[in-house]
Amino acid sequence: MRIFDPHIHMTSRTTDDYEAMSRAGVRALVEPAFWLGQPRTSVASFTDYFDGLIGWERFRAAQFGIRHHCALALNPKEANDPRCTGVLDVLPRYLAKDGVVAVGEVGYDSMTPEEDEAFARQLALAVEHDLPALVHTPHRDKAAGTARTLDVVRESGLPPERVLVDHLNEVTVRAVADSGCWMGFSIYPDTKMDETRMVAILREYGTERVLVNSAADWGRSDPLKTYKTALAMLDAGFGEADVDRVLWRNPVEFYGQSGRLNLDDPSGTSDTFAGNSVLRGARP
Amino acid sequence: MTFHLGYGTNGFADHRLDDALAVIADLGYTGVALTLDHAHLDPFAADVVRRTGRIAARLGELGLVAVVETGARYLLDPRRKHHPTLVSEDQEVRVDFLLRAVRIAADLGADCVSFWSGVAPPGVGPDEAWRRLRAGVEAVLDGAAVDGVPLALEPEPGMVVEHVEQALRLHAEFGSPEPLGITLDVGHCVAVEPEDAAACIRRVGGLLLNVQLDDMRPGVHEHLEFGEGALDLPATLAALEEIGYTGLAAVELPRHSHAAPEVARRAIEALRAALPPVDHPWLVEAERSVRTDPASIRTLFPAVGRTVGRTPLRAPTDPLGVVHGTVDDLARTRLLVALAKVSQDLGAELVSLYRYGDDAERRGVLRALADVGDKAPAQGVELVKDALRTNDTRLVAAALGPFAADHLDQHTWRHGVLKCLFLGIPLAAVAGLDRRADAELLRMVGAYADERRAAGRDVPAEAAELLRSQT
Repeated sequence: MRIFDPHIHMTSRTTDDYEAMSRAGVRALVEPAFWLGQPRTSVASFTDYFDGLIGWERFRAAQFGIRHHCALALNPKEANDPRCTGVLDVLPRYLAKDGVVAVGEVGYDSMTPEEDEAFARQLALAVEHDLPALVHTPHRDKAAGTARTLDVVRESGLPPERVLVDHLNEVTVRAVADSGCWMGFSIYPDTKMDETRMVAILREYGTERVLVNSAADWGRSDPLKTYKTALAMLDAGFGEADVDRVLWRNPVEFYGQSGRLNLDDPSGTSDTFAGNSVLRGARP
Repeated sequence: MTFHLGYGTNGFADHRLDDALAVIADLGYTGVALTLDHAHLDPFAADVVRRTGRIAARLGELGLVAVVETGARYLLDPRRKHHPTLVSEDQEVRVDFLLRAVRIAADLGADCVSFWSGVAPPGVGPDEAWRRLRAGVEAVLDGAAVDGVPLALEPEPGMVVEHVEQALRLHAEFGSPEPLGITLDVGHCVAVEPEDAAACIRRVGGLLLNVQLDDMRPGVHEHLEFGEGALDLPATLAALEEIGYTGLAAVELPRHSHAAPEVARRAIEALRAALPPVDHPWLVEAERSVRTDPASIRTLFPAVGRTVGRTPLRAPTDPLGVVHGTVDDLARTRLLVALAKVSQDLGAELVSLYRYGDDAERRGVLRALADVGDKAPAQGVELVKDALRTNDTRLVAAALGPFAADHLDQHTWRHGVLKCLFLGIPLAAVAGLDRRADAELLRMVGAYADERRAAGRDVPAEAAELLRSQT
């Protein structure tokens, strides 16, 4: 089984997680930029984070045979903090980097005018940089937020097939399915979807344009939820081809639109990054 | 690129000539070195004129330039390979064949006819062999004069003319006639010449009429695919550019016919990777963009690697590009040279490109300082010092180029050199080492060597060598 986790925050995870993911069949992933759990206070904090996503984290993943890509953006939550919005001015430099396969996560948190502005501006950057966009849907007032999200996407001029609307559930999936956008589901303990409900949605909506991710981050989450969903699909009678479609070919097709996916086996690439290794204590 | 990349049909001996030409053109070659042979445009066939006309039309349709090669193994004698030659008793058979080749070349519109001298037969001394060769070449030149097709003599290992030096001598003895030039097989340079292929190319200079491309190992006359031997392909191609060569450079792999299409594909990929990116269409457009809109460099600079490639410029001797850099380094220098001509504040943009850059972009900025650093020396020094604080070998190596040699203070520069020894960076990466090395550097290196010895560790060879050479 080969797995592509289209949304996971590895910066917050340990090497044990990388090992377990590699054993379970994860060969590639996309790490979207989001908030850190505590507020950033400056643009420099973002650029340090972006530097990590395009450099150090990619290197760390490669040590475990996993190809790491990222999506970069000002996240909806911090779009409300004037200390952070300046990052939009340097974002174009970063969107041009190797391994950046989408603009994201963008979208709504509290649906403020500031969020409107950052969302629209970043969808325009996606058009300009010829990148797809990963759109987060809000935790609160989710159905209304999703409807408004789809309106903004329509106005942006970004074609729906280049937009992945994420964190969907039973309530929001229909509108996104009808919009032509890709449908993302986060299998995340307690707060989002679980494997059983995911299988039910796949039964109802089919496997086309559906992506499943773990969204694992610094919260109580599980980086193997992609794998566990695959097992649940097989238990429920889906074939291996269906599993491969949802957990590999769909994310490859969606992010492949960037032209910057690299799915070669990273084994044998340099065992140090900028002269430093994950093997702390060993030279160098 | 000033010259054509081609492939030799003797590497497609298992293909019909028509099919071989189509495969070669499809792969993107723009020329062909056509070896006349019994299965490929037999010069002794009754209808050779008609066939030649047809091939000429085909070459035109496919957009291929051509040279005619005459190294077929059993065309003249079914029992003795390559026999007879210009130094054989029955030299006139070879002369007749070469004159047929000249007429075919004229009908094809080929650049030249390439030929070699031959192995001296047993009992024929060097003087006699040389006399025969001169007489034979003279006969061919006389006969070829009416057709106006030049002849190109190829030094071939083991033959009477086996080195560039001998080919140049023969040319000089004829009073340097226009219609006699030289074919150079760059693999032969690796195998038997005292200098490398790039140096041979420069030496032959304007007499170069035809080039054969292949790899070889020193001392072994075996035609190998690129990367299997010791040829420095990027330096070789760069030398052809440098002398303004405009003819054909064709891959010469006569023992690879069994897998010809695949071998030819690998060869053109290797050639493309090794070519300087000067005329890469993306780069040309990007330079234009930077000239008209300097801020566009902010998104073009990161995209260089995935468009023009990342191959080391001199892979055989510098596989990671630590010393000589990579294709993307070179392309980034080009962008910064374009920027330097129009930018109002070059220093600030250099700093931003470096600060927001990934490791490859940072190397690109550092290497470009050799060309643009004089216009922003303060910022250049700031970036070099930043790079020298890292443990990234390629970054440290890129920092110690000609800009650092000219602008970095002596203390920081010495510590940079010492860091190279620590990190195992070849000192070849340090520009101006002889000029700037001083007693204090030698003291520091000497102390480092003592410390290694006291700990029972090896002293890096480069440290020992530096101490020897400077004292």
